[in-house]
Amino acid sequence: MTNTMRIGVIGIVFGALLAVLGLRLWAMQITEVHAYEERAERQQVRVVTTPAPRGDIYDSKGVKLAGTRSALAAVVDLALVDKDEMDQLAQNLAAFLDLDASEVIEQLSNDNRGAQITVAEDLSDADATFLLERREDFPGVAVIPQPVRTYPMGELGAHVLGYIGKPNEDDLLRDDVDGTDFVGRAGVEKSYDEQLQGSEGTVTYRVDAKRKVLSLAGEAPPTAGGSLILTLDSELQAQLQASLRDGLIQARVEEMEERREAIETQSRPARLAEALAKARADAAQEKAEEAAADSEETVGVDDDDVAPEPEPITVDPATVLGSLYTGLPVDGEGMCVPVQRVTVPLNGESVLSGIEPRFIRLDAVADADTDPVATVVIAGEKHSVKKNQYVDADHRVLQVLHIDEDEIILYHRDPWCPIRSTGVVLDPNDGSVLAMSSFPTFDPTVFVDGLSAEQWASLGTVSAFQNFAVQGLYAPASTFKTVPYLLAVEESLYPMDRGTGDKEIGDESEDEQEPVPLQSDTDEYSCSGEFKFTLNDGTVQKKRDWKWPNSHGMLDLHGALQASCDLYFWDMALRLWQERADESAVDKENILQEYARGFGFGTESGIDLPFEKQGLIPDRAWFVAEQRKETGRVRPDGPWVGGDLMDIAVGQGAVLTTPLQVANGYAAMINGGTVWQPRVMDQVVDTDGIVIDENPPQVLMRQDLDPRTVRMLLQDLQQVVNNQERGTARAAFKDFGPNVELVGGKTGTGEVIKAPRTERFRQVDNAWFVGVAPINQPKWVVAVVIERGGSGGKVAAPVARQVLQYLLNGSDGVTELAPGLDAD
Amino acid sequence: MPLLVKDRPTSVRMKHEPLKPDLVLVLAYLALSAIGLLMVYSATAPRLEALGLDPAAELRSQAIFVVIGFIVFAFMSTFDLVELKGFTGPIYVVSVFLLILVLILGESDGEATRWIDLGPVQFQPSELAKIAVILMIASVLAQAEVPLKWKTVARVSVVVGIPAALIFLQPDLGTMLVFAFVALAMLFVGGATMRQLGFLFMATIVGTVGLFQLDKIRAYQIERLTAFVDPDNSSLDLIYNQVQSEIAIGSGGLFGKGLFGGSQTALGFVPVQSSDFIFTAVGEQFGFVGSVIVIALFGVLLFRLLMISSSARSRFASLVSVGIAAMFAFHIFINIGMTIRIMPITGLPLPFMSAGGTAFVALSAALGMAHSAWIRRNLPVGE
Repeated sequence: MTNTMRIGVIGIVFGALLAVLGLRLWAMQITEVHAYEERAERQQVRVVTTPAPRGDIYDSKGVKLAGTRSALAAVVDLALVDKDEMDQLAQNLAAFLDLDASEVIEQLSNDNRGAQITVAEDLSDADATFLLERREDFPGVAVIPQPVRTYPMGELGAHVLGYIGKPNEDDLLRDDVDGTDFVGRAGVEKSYDEQLQGSEGTVTYRVDAKRKVLSLAGEAPPTAGGSLILTLDSELQAQLQASLRDGLIQARVEEMEERREAIETQSRPARLAEALAKARADAAQEKAEEAAADSEETVGVDDDDVAPEPEPITVDPATVLGSLYTGLPVDGEGMCVPVQRVTVPLNGESVLSGIEPRFIRLDAVADADTDPVATVVIAGEKHSVKKNQYVDADHRVLQVLHIDEDEIILYHRDPWCPIRSTGVVLDPNDGSVLAMSSFPTFDPTVFVDGLSAEQWASLGTVSAFQNFAVQGLYAPASTFKTVPYLLAVEESLYPMDRGTGDKEIGDESEDEQEPVPLQSDTDEYSCSGEFKFTLNDGTVQKKRDWKWPNSHGMLDLHGALQASCDLYFWDMALRLWQERADESAVDKENILQEYARGFGFGTESGIDLPFEKQGLIPDRAWFVAEQRKETGRVRPDGPWVGGDLMDIAVGQGAVLTTPLQVANGYAAMINGGTVWQPRVMDQVVDTDGIVIDENPPQVLMRQDLDPRTVRMLLQDLQQVVNNQERGTARAAFKDFGPNVELVGGKTGTGEVIKAPRTERFRQVDNAWFVGVAPINQPKWVVAVVIERGGSGGKVAAPVARQVLQYLLNGSDGVTELAPGLDAD
Repeated sequence: MPLLVKDRPTSVRMKHEPLKPDLVLVLAYLALSAIGLLMVYSATAPRLEALGLDPAAELRSQAIFVVIGFIVFAFMSTFDLVELKGFTGPIYVVSVFLLILVLILGESDGEATRWIDLGPVQFQPSELAKIAVILMIASVLAQAEVPLKWKTVARVSVVVGIPAALIFLQPDLGTMLVFAFVALAMLFVGGATMRQLGFLFMATIVGTVGLFQLDKIRAYQIERLTAFVDPDNSSLDLIYNQVQSEIAIGSGGLFGKGLFGGSQTALGFVPVQSSDFIFTAVGEQFGFVGSVIVIALFGVLLFRLLMISSSARSRFASLVSVGIAAMFAFHIFINIGMTIRIMPITGLPLPFMSAGGTAFVALSAALGMAHSAWIRRNLPVGE
């Protein structure tokens, strides 16, 4: 190769290198120019968002339940802070906010919080002025207006309103939500979050490479969210909440009365005497030993002295009493505590709420650093426990939450203490919710500032934030009897008269008459306290009515509902079972269940509130499936039997409903069979009051009833309240005042813990009452549940009575709460 | 043309033929310098102005070097390369000495030690070393027989190896690779066999990889070299310049955003723009058309240098011109390639355009030497 050729080759190589540059430039500047332009543009602007005020929430009469107030927030705009000013700023902010400088720096270096970093919310005017006057000490800090959620009525309607909070991961998937926003987490705040949210405003700046703002490029103001107009009536809501609160307190008072009585009449004197005797004996023994020791030392030294008289042996009865239990716990007002967070210091004692209050003492903590083991003493028994273990493995009411070297924290449940009350008021003609609440409740404002640990401990442990009207599941108990009642009339399906009522209680004579089917709703049935029946396999079983050992006497269908006789409906279910039970023809067999589902029981009502529970109307298919899956919700062996159907007929067994379902089912039963989809929100309006969205009443399903049957039902419901002989709610309503004849209802008492009435364990019941008024043209259905409250006639009916008094006679007509009669 | 053997005239020409400059080369040089000044101004003025300083401050200091560069170019153009040949050894020794000195006394920018502070100006000995090495290689090869013996190749390797090793210690991988590229080009034109070139090429690659393995290259250099391949996985600071430069050039489009219209440039998105990333200003403000014109000007420069090489009256002058051309080509390709993210980040300036005194003056001197070979292409040797 010649020299020139070699130079030529070099030239070609150089040319190729330059061509590579040219081709790459072509690709960038001609082919992909738009992508690059976009990237350049994007990094040369900065968008600062301004939050939109959330829409207000009003009741149906225009009372504001939730609003927005304009507060001031301090934000740091890092674009305006030079690097060398950062340390100074962090220190000044730390001093201002009363934090560590490192915390502030961490906060400021958290980049994903948007262009402006909020360091302080809801500033006082003084603080805002302080910041503004010392701009040089706080470079880059700006004070900006910030909308803050307010709930001017406090706890009023809290469970319907819900609350707001920082978005969770699911919320962040929404286009209109970023990490700095508040979103609804419960209630209508959640279900209508998108309508309430509004749209953020933006301010766009041109910036340079150091993100320094050069000029304003554009501005779009925020749009406020739509306002909700609810179906609630805030005055009625207030009455319901007050009655629920008083009702729960009343139930606790009753419970404490019962406990006191039990302690005083049964265990206390005997045990006290025993303990006193033992304490005396111990003290005497000790004394004697001391005296012996003393005399040995002094013998021969002081012969002249007369031996001292032995001091009288005294024992402080209070101390001894305390060693058994000190009276009754325990919330400062002499009330039981359903869920207790107990802190026990080392060598200290705390009292546990219970039928028989107990002391718990922390004796020792071992291995505090690794896997702490605490030794606690309850009622003289030693237990070694670790974190999350139950101290009482068999009853599971005392669980270890945390163990420190010098204290132990536990959760204790007192299963007999009434825990909460829940109520709903519905308009049976369109499904509008007029009032809805549970007690204990909360003020949604606590979520705006963030929930403190104390608030969580006091409210969270009793689930005060949950709306039990839609989230609570309870056996409807006797309130469910209207379902077999209607089925009996519509299908002419009455019980068999087995003649059992003629016999005295305890009469075991074998000469039973041949069962005769009842023919009409007025045929009488002997409603004794005990139901003895022969199963298909020949075995004889017994079921006892709540009235046992007393008897209801002879009752027809109407009387059976008014007096809440279990036998009548058991027998009806048994007849149904005997005539129709058939594994293959499930539809025929499930006529009662299908009828119940037709009124919305065991089905989501579709109310515009989140987290609604479905409930359950059990049947053979469900039973078999649960048994096969071994969920533990049904007995492990044996088939679906007639007894299961009998339980369903009186709303027990596996039947579960929400209070709203029961209210809505009653609404359907008394309006002729239309099941409305309940609603709490009526309209969404914009800031000018123009309706932008509506939630009109909607029919969920229909199960037509003969108007005659409906009239009959209403009459019997009226008798539950007004029949002075057998009405189970008569005592609760005796002081109702005028218009009591316009009130109907049904009591219910649901067994929670089935156990013999022993000292430590006795039955616990949920108390129900469903009220209907005015009876000739119903406008309201009121459902009340007091969880673990006792019997419906005694505890729940008086609460509903107050609400119905308010509805019929106005607020002046509401009389003092007083317990009714212990009746199912 | 027959292969040159030793320094003999290729042909006997007329004496006292007028000494004509290579106008095309000179014009390309002037044009690139002028564009360079304009770009330095456009890249620095907005930032200086924003700081309340004289917007022309950097332009002025660069202009001084450009003027010095022109003088050096003119002086070197009149200086006969043949006379320079006698100084090759001393120049080489001095530059090696300076490279050692810079390692002892040099100013560091935090990553590498490349400068010696001379009061008002900073001097970068590696710029001088480039020229010294070119001269030294040319002098070795000019006396060697063609085809080259392995002994000659070994001597060239030593000549390149000493300063390359010293520069490696700074460390300055980019400049080190300039030496390798220049040496390979000169050996090729100087008559090395394909086996020798292949061996050297492999040796360069094995050596470079070996250096990586020896852990002698500091971590930042490795990352700088690899960051452009996978910008998403590299530390942001490192790749930031390159990505911003790419965005700036890409967004320039066909005709660019116009002088002073470069938002990326004006808003300071591309750091060290006036020096290493000066081509970004061209790409953004004048688009594809402007970029191609600048590249074309460099093409003309390289073409003229190769023409000079092939028409040089002595083998020494021819080899020097090839070496200088290779040095320019490598700078151009690596620097522009870096701004458009097809080459790694190295500290190599863009000839005659990047702000920086030593480089401008040194490269002007190099161009002047080649130019002098052109002017004297027809003179007999020895005159």
